[in-house]
Amino acid sequence: MQSGSNAFLEALRAIAPAAVPDWVLMVTAAVIGFAIALGLISVAALFFVWLERKVAGHIQCRYGPMYAGGWHGWAQSLADGVKLMLKEDLVPRDADRALFIFAPGLVLAAILGAMAAYPLAPAVFFGQFSLGVFFIVAMSSMTTIGVVMAGWASNSKWTTYGAMREAAQVVAYEIPLGLSLLVPVMAAGTLDLRAASAMQSGLWGMDWLIMPWNNPFMLPAGVLFLVAALAETKRAPFDLPEAESELVAGFMTEYSGIRWSFFFMEEYAAMFLMSAVGAVFFLGGFESPLTHLAAQIGGTELFVRDAAGTLAFDASAIPYQIVAGLTLLAKTVFGVFLMMWLRWTLPRVRIDQVMTMGYKYLTPLALLCVVGAAAWEAIKHALWS
Amino acid sequence: MSDTHTASGLGGDARVLRSGEREFTLDVRTQDMEINFGPQHPATHGVMRILIRADGELVTGAQPHLGYLHRCAEKIGESVEWLQYLPYTDRYDYLAAMNNNLGYSMAVEAVMGIAIPRRAELIRIICAELNRIGSHLIAVGTYGMDIGAFTPFLYMFREREWMMALFEKICGARLTYSYIRIGGLFNDAPPGWFEEVALFCDTFEAKWPEYYDLLIVNKIFVKRTANVGVIPGRVCLDFGLTGPILRGSGVDWDLRRDMPYSLYGEIWRDGAFQVPVARGEMGTVGDCWDRTWVRMREMQESIRIVRWCLAHIEEGPVMAEIPKILKVPKGEAYVGIENPRGELGHYVVSDGEKMAVRVRVRGPSFCNVAVLEDVLPGALVADAVAIIGSTDIVMGETDR
Amino acid sequence: MASSATATYVRNIWESVKTTLVGMRITGKYLLQKPITVQYPDERMPIPDRFRGIHYLEQEKCIECLACARACPIDCIEMEAIRHGKELEWISFTLDYQKCMFCELCVYPCPKDCIHMGTEYAFVSFDRSEFKHDLLSFKGMDRAARARMKEAEAKKAAKDAAKAKADAAKTAAKDKPAADKPAAEKPAPDAPKAGSDAPKAGQDKPDAGAAAPGAGGAG
Repeated sequence: MQSGSNAFLEALRAIAPAAVPDWVLMVTAAVIGFAIALGLISVAALFFVWLERKVAGHIQCRYGPMYAGGWHGWAQSLADGVKLMLKEDLVPRDADRALFIFAPGLVLAAILGAMAAYPLAPAVFFGQFSLGVFFIVAMSSMTTIGVVMAGWASNSKWTTYGAMREAAQVVAYEIPLGLSLLVPVMAAGTLDLRAASAMQSGLWGMDWLIMPWNNPFMLPAGVLFLVAALAETKRAPFDLPEAESELVAGFMTEYSGIRWSFFFMEEYAAMFLMSAVGAVFFLGGFESPLTHLAAQIGGTELFVRDAAGTLAFDASAIPYQIVAGLTLLAKTVFGVFLMMWLRWTLPRVRIDQVMTMGYKYLTPLALLCVVGAAAWEAIKHALWS
Repeated sequence: MSDTHTASGLGGDARVLRSGEREFTLDVRTQDMEINFGPQHPATHGVMRILIRADGELVTGAQPHLGYLHRCAEKIGESVEWLQYLPYTDRYDYLAAMNNNLGYSMAVEAVMGIAIPRRAELIRIICAELNRIGSHLIAVGTYGMDIGAFTPFLYMFREREWMMALFEKICGARLTYSYIRIGGLFNDAPPGWFEEVALFCDTFEAKWPEYYDLLIVNKIFVKRTANVGVIPGRVCLDFGLTGPILRGSGVDWDLRRDMPYSLYGEIWRDGAFQVPVARGEMGTVGDCWDRTWVRMREMQESIRIVRWCLAHIEEGPVMAEIPKILKVPKGEAYVGIENPRGELGHYVVSDGEKMAVRVRVRGPSFCNVAVLEDVLPGALVADAVAIIGSTDIVMGETDR
Repeated sequence: MASSATATYVRNIWESVKTTLVGMRITGKYLLQKPITVQYPDERMPIPDRFRGIHYLEQEKCIECLACARACPIDCIEMEAIRHGKELEWISFTLDYQKCMFCELCVYPCPKDCIHMGTEYAFVSFDRSEFKHDLLSFKGMDRAARARMKEAEAKKAAKDAAKAKADAAKTAAKDKPAADKPAAEKPAPDAPKAGSDAPKAGQDKPDAGAAAPGAGGAG
């Protein structure tokens, strides 16, 4: 079980003069963490927008962005971001001004808060979250309030349609999302992302929870989690609130410029987080053969407490941290890529069919998986321990 | 929002039941929403406005408003010469321009009473059927986009590009061809063209299962289109619907077989093609899925017709002998052909002059639009998009 | 009854999963293939021979019969030339591309087969007046035409002179005693107007080369 407090805090404690009180260091660490999280979301959103356009392009036998920045248009999202910032800030005259302006902020704040539980590396994280995944799911559900607020405040029939559908859809899929996550949580025995990742380190880093020898109900639970995550993040085939809604862009119709980009950042950040949760609980998180190798050649803890109780910085642990962090990132990006692939393959599901799927198919199946997985675990523990 | 609520109050409407319980009723009156679909459509059907009255998600009334693309084509027919009208015919159903040229040319040739050389007829049919494939590719592709599947549209456009390249080689234009003219064709096919058409047929047949698997039998697509927008056969006949809509409702009628024109009678007797009629495979007969299925199958049948024509191609002239300054003798004729969207009819009246007295066009989309008023009520708003897309309306043909 | 509901339920799940995977295989296949896009303007599509692009005119062959202008459904062709006997002195031959719909109806009626549609399709301008595109490659007359015209004029002048001489001789013979004989000489044929002689550099030079034994007056 990984222990140790926030890496930023420990680093600050190590370098700060003794006269500085601890609470100042804590606040500074929190601010640094917040800045990094915000940077991470922004970069992630930029990268995923570019990736989406390239994946969409290549699936459709075309290139996607090629021009901005030279090599395969890597600077396209940057250029788009600059353009969006320069756009006119439009608030419709009949819209509820306060709510209209507040909604994208709420949406982004919620997802930024959820990001706090994402561990960058085994020893580099924003805070200890024993409630890890529960916190992430709860915080990302708050974005729904922002979406409904946006749809209502826009004062348009179409946006209201989109907002109502969004509310119905998200509420319906919370249940299978939670239930399908229960399966790996049961197997891992913890809600904490770092701890769950650590317990998958056996077998040269390949003892992932989704492997059939761990629990045969894990794969169906993983698929259910993927479907529920798609519905939660409003991605195709469940993108009714956003794309169709009879016309332009559903609840986002009246938004333009930087406010619209907040919704998009939230969408890609939510995809990133859901994918990260899936990567940690199903695909092994930090663990992979490379990580195992890195753990052999150096240390694993950045800050080690020696016999006397003083904290020392162990620089040999850096390769392990980097490899572990990159492994989780790679698995997350793969998950996001999978979501994009599905988007460009499947048509859209109608709202009543979405509800049917959620309540009549996913929830019972998820329950079945939970019961089955619990029985399996019980039998396993009874027989082998 | 235009809802009005009148809650008559919890106290006033209580009834006492026999068992002693009190039953409360709430008198809530709501107003149906009136929504404008268009004229700017997200889906490429052109500029059309449908006024929809909806009770929440349920559509209770629909009224199409047309005329946004009206360009006075029929009136222009009275003030330009016979041959000069040909480019105008391209532009009503711009997705299947060869068929429009064919209809007009056949109507004028019927008035003139001339015979077309066989080679010209064969190339005409090849072009018309290739264009039918192109038109159906767009129809199904954009329908997929309406439903939310963006990728099949791109794949179908890849094939359509090839078809347009073929036409570019034969007449120089990609969309509005003005190639099939009164008396035959403007010019003969260039060397190597027939071989390339054969190559296209082979490649397209190999790609057809891909579209089928990716879109048509996809469970989500089936769920969106099966049992949606059912048009019974009786209603089709009442409204005068033709084309894939008619065959999608189970009515076995195809002008190429039942009122043969050009060489289609011969092709039919040779057993070279069949007429696909829907049987309600995935849901009810006459739903959106059936209409899409008919279009997909028609593409396959068109390939078979093209192959027959390639096999029977012969040398010869491609133009009948007609004077340079065309003066059509007095008379009138109506010729209806099977457009990808239905029966395209040209009614041509001539006075013996250089210009027509009347060119009346029976556009199939115009007649097909009428059914929307009947079939949309009772569907969900989300289904309205699916139904409109499945009727495959082109506004250029509706408004002319 | 219950078993058929269960069967439908299971079949729904199975079909959803199967069609999704089949679809993903198709899109995955194309994901890994090279795209078919032609990166315009760096790469261009090959243009077939019969492409209906911007027109070009074989000016020497044109006889200003206006067949193409009459054939155009939208009347976008206008031409202006001065006739010198059989030769033309071109002033303008414009095609209004704001109207042209590239229907190619102007190409077929030409009796001399001199107007064609080329392979140029990019016609961009900041100024509307540029769209009334002049198809002439040169204005005025070309050297061959000018030479022929001069030759024709010279021949005509010689013929007229000879005829006049014959006439005069005849009249003289007839009216020998008569006092005044209006030597009704036909005036020499019109020398080409000074304006049109305003030489485009290079047009006037090759009189020598054109083998016209320059009759005196016609310069």
